[in-house]
Amino acid sequence: MNKKKWNLAPYLLILPSFIYLAVFFAWPMVRSLQLAFVRDSQILPVLAEADPDADVVGRLEMQTQVAVVDRTRLDEVLPNGRTRPVYWFKIVGETEGGEQIEGWTHQKNVFIESRTTSETARVTSGEGAKEWTLDYVERMVNDYRFTNALKTTLILIVLILPIQFVLAIVMALVLQAQLRGSTIFLYIYAIPLGISDLAAGLVWVSIFTQRGFLNTFLQQVGIINEPFIYLSADHENWMIIAIVLAEVWRATSIVMVIVVSGLQAIPREYLEAGELFGASLWQRLRHIILPLLKPSLQVALILRTILAFQVFAVVVAITGGRVLTVLAYETYRWYDPGDSGFNNPNMAAAYAGFIMLISLAFAVFYLRTVRTQEEAARE
Amino acid sequence: MFRTKTRSIVILVLVAMLTGALGVSAQDGSVTFMSTQFNIVEESDKIRTILADFGEVEFVPSEEGPMIDLLRAEAETGEGSVDLIGALHGTFPVLQNEDVLFDLSDLLAQLEESYELPESFVELGKLGTADYQYYIPWMQATYIMAAHVSALEYLPEGADINALTWEQFAEWAKNIYDGTGEAQLGLPVAGLFHRFLEGYLYPSFTGGMVTGFKSPEAVAMWEWFRDELWPYVHPQSVTSYEFMQEPLLAGEVILAFDHTARLINAFNDKPDEFVGFPAPTGPAGLGFMPVVVGLGVPYTSADPDGAEALIDFLLQPETQGRVLQDLAFFPVVGGVDTADLPEGVAIEAAAVEAQAASPDALPALLPVGLGDRGGEINEIYRNAFSRIVLNGEDIQTVLDDEGAALQSLLDETGAPCWPPDAPSEGACQLQ
Repeated sequence: MNKKKWNLAPYLLILPSFIYLAVFFAWPMVRSLQLAFVRDSQILPVLAEADPDADVVGRLEMQTQVAVVDRTRLDEVLPNGRTRPVYWFKIVGETEGGEQIEGWTHQKNVFIESRTTSETARVTSGEGAKEWTLDYVERMVNDYRFTNALKTTLILIVLILPIQFVLAIVMALVLQAQLRGSTIFLYIYAIPLGISDLAAGLVWVSIFTQRGFLNTFLQQVGIINEPFIYLSADHENWMIIAIVLAEVWRATSIVMVIVVSGLQAIPREYLEAGELFGASLWQRLRHIILPLLKPSLQVALILRTILAFQVFAVVVAITGGRVLTVLAYETYRWYDPGDSGFNNPNMAAAYAGFIMLISLAFAVFYLRTVRTQEEAARE
Repeated sequence: MFRTKTRSIVILVLVAMLTGALGVSAQDGSVTFMSTQFNIVEESDKIRTILADFGEVEFVPSEEGPMIDLLRAEAETGEGSVDLIGALHGTFPVLQNEDVLFDLSDLLAQLEESYELPESFVELGKLGTADYQYYIPWMQATYIMAAHVSALEYLPEGADINALTWEQFAEWAKNIYDGTGEAQLGLPVAGLFHRFLEGYLYPSFTGGMVTGFKSPEAVAMWEWFRDELWPYVHPQSVTSYEFMQEPLLAGEVILAFDHTARLINAFNDKPDEFVGFPAPTGPAGLGFMPVVVGLGVPYTSADPDGAEALIDFLLQPETQGRVLQDLAFFPVVGGVDTADLPEGVAIEAAAVEAQAASPDALPALLPVGLGDRGGEINEIYRNAFSRIVLNGEDIQTVLDDEGAALQSLLDETGAPCWPPDAPSEGACQLQ
């Protein structure tokens, strides 16, 4: 019975990365998912006496109308030397179950017209009460912009990915061919990598806007007389085209970098053998390079698809996020506490969770399909 | 609770780091003034120059959300670095709910001895209570119309630019389209367009902002907007126009609606080429939206006396005049010298005055009492617009749908009706 001795060392070795993943990925992810499914409602605990530590005699829902039957005023001395009157109100109200509750509450928790004279008040805050809910998810799915956002996101993926992959492979082959001055190509290809996506979007806006480069050019060449308005609610297709161009311009190099590294991993012998047997360039590409590139293409595909679900700034810059919208923009719109957002982190979390879910589904799909083909090719 | 608390603390730390001087300045006798207005660099510089005449003031521009979180966090610790806040009316209900502001009734009584403040704005500062002054009105702005002089030749016959009806306005836009071959009316759909619906169209056609949301008058209004006005609105309005001053200056549009602060560059850069005029009148009156900015003192302030002195300084007619001159926000006190204003500001001032002084004026206030869900109401109006005008959906169906969303928002927040709708007992109800 010589049991294998249990060895601690490998576990210790992966512990740091495990901790890193748990702290910086798993925990925030769980928290954010929790936001999507837990409602932070409030309920007011009514107290037996005008004292925050007093016993709770019952709880009232938000917006309950209550009668104020008594009040007491304390003067709180503030660190800045002033005193501030603090009122406690004795309120009578009915719970949702119809139970009559009478007790005290702090001024902070009710809206009252006059602290000194009013005889009614409305419950406006209390202590946090968490409950599980599917409301946010339901609201998201029923939201009028949700289908629009999902549709546009998927259309963009279908249009952008094939173009990017064909271009990236061509660009990588050009580099690989080691022509004279091919390093210059590398630099040119890499320029968009250094530009933020918002800036890239703005560049394309200035091309497509009414008095933009494109119209000016077409007018000077004499193809059109009047500037054509591309970016308008009536021309959604033009907006899609502008987004596709911007995304292709901006993000193809990332795919190229991965493909180049994949190409460099292909042993020269295979290609030389192919050449020796008289395989044409196309045949070598089709039967040697592409099959051997599959692992890198798989990585690039997963990466690009996930990034495509997060496409955001380019779309906002080009469309204003109103006529055409994408999932990531909806997430931001719900989170944004500013003038154009809704300041609702729960809905934002529901959207974020949805994006994660479909990204995950696509990743699993790619891993399964691309791998089986690869194995089939090997047999 | 945990979420808001951690978020507050993170923001507190961030703000403290970014505005490093805060902690120090609280001790050296200067007043810290945090404002959601003037948070563009040039504007901050101008207001700092004006504040320099008061003495040591640390002006800290901030976005609304972070400011609320900061005040919330400071209230929890009991001690704060912010002495005075300046914010839009719509920010204050959230602070009321958090119970972080002093009652400024006594200060108001003192101030009213020296300055005349408009009663309606003072009332607004009470946020629905009878005797708790949450803020003192500081300055105001509004939305007006702007036209390039070349648009004037297309004015419908017999129309007075200072007393237009919406019908005439649409005819004007149509004439421009027929005459130039281009739709040259610009609406800031990418910007503050919801205010156009909430504060201008709805009150002008239905007499209220909320209660008549799905009324027959509203249906007629949307029909008119879709068929008579929208065809002549510049197509880039939806995607690109956030501040109308740029497309006006670029010549893409020659007729526009926007916030005074978002038109001012056009009037300032080319005062001879642009005219300002009041919003048109509808069957129910001239709906317009005054924007009120108020001053409040958090009770965690380290220097409430300094804060009150600064409020007094900000209300002085000279200070108000300089704010108008340099920053194009309009005074709330009487007696401001408007003799030598920059030309652009003078154009706006005339239009603003004509708008408010119209016999049919129907001031529509920003949504009140929705707390931190104020953004959602804007989206309901915008959704109605997108669905009816852009997607061509059936008007009554859309209004019923969106009206239900509006009603549930009002019920959930318990917000009573606000002007120009008639006051209500309990949550505001749609007709």
